Amino acid sequence: MNRVTLGLARALVVAALFARPSSAADDEALKKDLTAVIALHGLPCGKVVAVKVLAESDYNASCEDRNRYHVHLNPEGRVLVEQQK
Amino acid sequence: MRLARVSLLLLLPLLVVACARREPATSDSGPANVPTPTGIQQPAATPAAPAPPIPAEPVPPVVKAPAPARPLDLNTLETQLKETKAIGLFTKITLKNQVDDLLGQFRRYYQGKAKLTLKDLRRSYDLLMMKVLTLLQDEDQRLASAIVASREAIWRLLANEKTFATLQV
Repeated sequence: MNRVTLGLARALVVAALFARPSSAADDEALKKDLTAVIALHGLPCGKVVAVKVLAESDYNASCEDRNRYHVHLNPEGRVLVEQQK
Repeated sequence: MRLARVSLLLLLPLLVVACARREPATSDSGPANVPTPTGIQQPAATPAAPAPPIPAEPVPPVVKAPAPARPLDLNTLETQLKETKAIGLFTKITLKNQVDDLLGQFRRYYQGKAKLTLKDLRRSYDLLMMKVLTLLQDEDQRLASAIVASREAIWRLLANEKTFATLQV
């Protein structure tokens, strides 16, 4: 019984170790993606440093130069980037 | 491809032997009394002062030149751009939007509805290519090279009204 418990605990620790970097990697990938999107629209940003997920394909991005943008996908399939005050 | 590889394997020993036996290049301005590595004595004008031995010229390593990237057709290019992990999903959609915008400009140009010239379209095309290459070059160099190789071919397709009309865009 102790072995089973120990095995489960180990599995959980391993899962936790792998889960955390994966989430961080996803977060970084999203920041990088939005940084590229904002740059492709020719808007100043530098680098996205924080992202707030509003809905699916709908984000608020904060840039390192303090600009903030609402990045979302409209029903026609266009990515729109709107500067926020 | 296989034939080329076999030929290379067959030729490689010959190349190595040829390099090993290669005589040093003689230049017109070089000294006349440099001994040849084959050991054949040249008639020297002053036998009392033999030239110091010159170390054998190092054989340059056989470096395989990187194969030039093959140009891609539009469908392959589209597929590879969709599949690359170097660009995020939102970036891909944005690029697709911009490609569609550019194709729309070409369409209006050929319909005579646009004030743009072909030179303007070329500038827009180059800018879009630069954006794509900037996004790809660090993480998918193979695709970036293929796009560079395809750049002029794609432009020729777009810049010709007949070929543009045949594109499924």
